[in-house]
Amino acid sequence: MRIACPFCGERESGEFTYLGDASPKRPNFAVDSVAGPEPAEDAFYDYVYLRDNVAGVMREYWYHGGGCRSWLIAERNTVTHEFGSVTAAPGAGATKLAQAGE
Amino acid sequence: MVDYLWNAQSPLQKELVAGRHGVTAGQAGVTLTEIRGIMLVQVMARRGKAVETAKAAKKLFGVEPPSTPKAVIGKIATLIWSGPDQFLAFAARSADSQFGKLAEVFAGIASLSDQSDGRCLSQISGPRAREALAKFSSLDLDDTMFPPGATATSSVDHTPVNIWRDANGADGEAVFNLLVFTSFADSLWKTIVASALEYGLEASSAHAE
Ligand SMILES: [Zn+2]
Repeated sequence: MRIACPFCGERESGEFTYLGDASPKRPNFAVDSVAGPEPAEDAFYDYVYLRDNVAGVMREYWYHGGGCRSWLIAERNTVTHEFGSVTAAPGAGATKLAQAGE
Repeated sequence: MVDYLWNAQSPLQKELVAGRHGVTAGQAGVTLTEIRGIMLVQVMARRGKAVETAKAAKKLFGVEPPSTPKAVIGKIATLIWSGPDQFLAFAARSADSQFGKLAEVFAGIASLSDQSDGRCLSQISGPRAREALAKFSSLDLDDTMFPPGATATSSVDHTPVNIWRDANGADGEAVFNLLVFTSFADSLWKTIVASALEYGLEASSAHAE
């Protein structure tokens, strides 16, 4: 299996580490204006523990640790293992992070 | 008080046995040379400073640092891509080295890390070099995919390596450079030697030019 790193080109999957679903967004107190500790706790519970078990195309975090050491977001079909687009995760290289995080 | 004497020495000083190894008939299929006396500085643009870093590099080296996996030859150093918004500045160690200017030129916009004694450089060439390399590297090193000037950050036996290709040697063969952390140099050297024995290996060391 080969993964096309947007920086390095096609590489064997052994150079990459899988993190998981790239969809959950880390709750941000300031940005999301979470009212108090209880709603914040619920939001963090969802963010940390709750995941969909997708059969099909999923957006995932992958880390090219055996190459350019960049975090990537890849579309992968969990049924066929076919990869779609692979792009740099926010903050890769020297790019600025979005305020709200991803 | 004890006085310590620090001597710079090659990490391959035990492992490198100069001369012919493996198959002895005919021309050596692989030549393996440790390149000593190198200057190597990792330059990483700070957050939001990629453009400024490229500009500063252009001023100092006379060339833009590569934004894709390539090595470009500049005035006082070869710039080797090592990841997004980062590169390695490489040159031969010499008394009139201009590397002292790096700290000043990149102050506040890029982070520098001197790797001159942190990495070991080996050069692999010869008519069977690609066959030996294929045993431990998963990169496609064919001319079409990896022409002179091509660079890769990759892994060999879970060890990070920077690989780049020089201009072809006088014999017309491809020349591949491999940079590895000094503490892994022994191990990688043994792997390369073992991979090349069946083609006949000529091992040596040389000072960087
Ligand atoms: Zn990469």
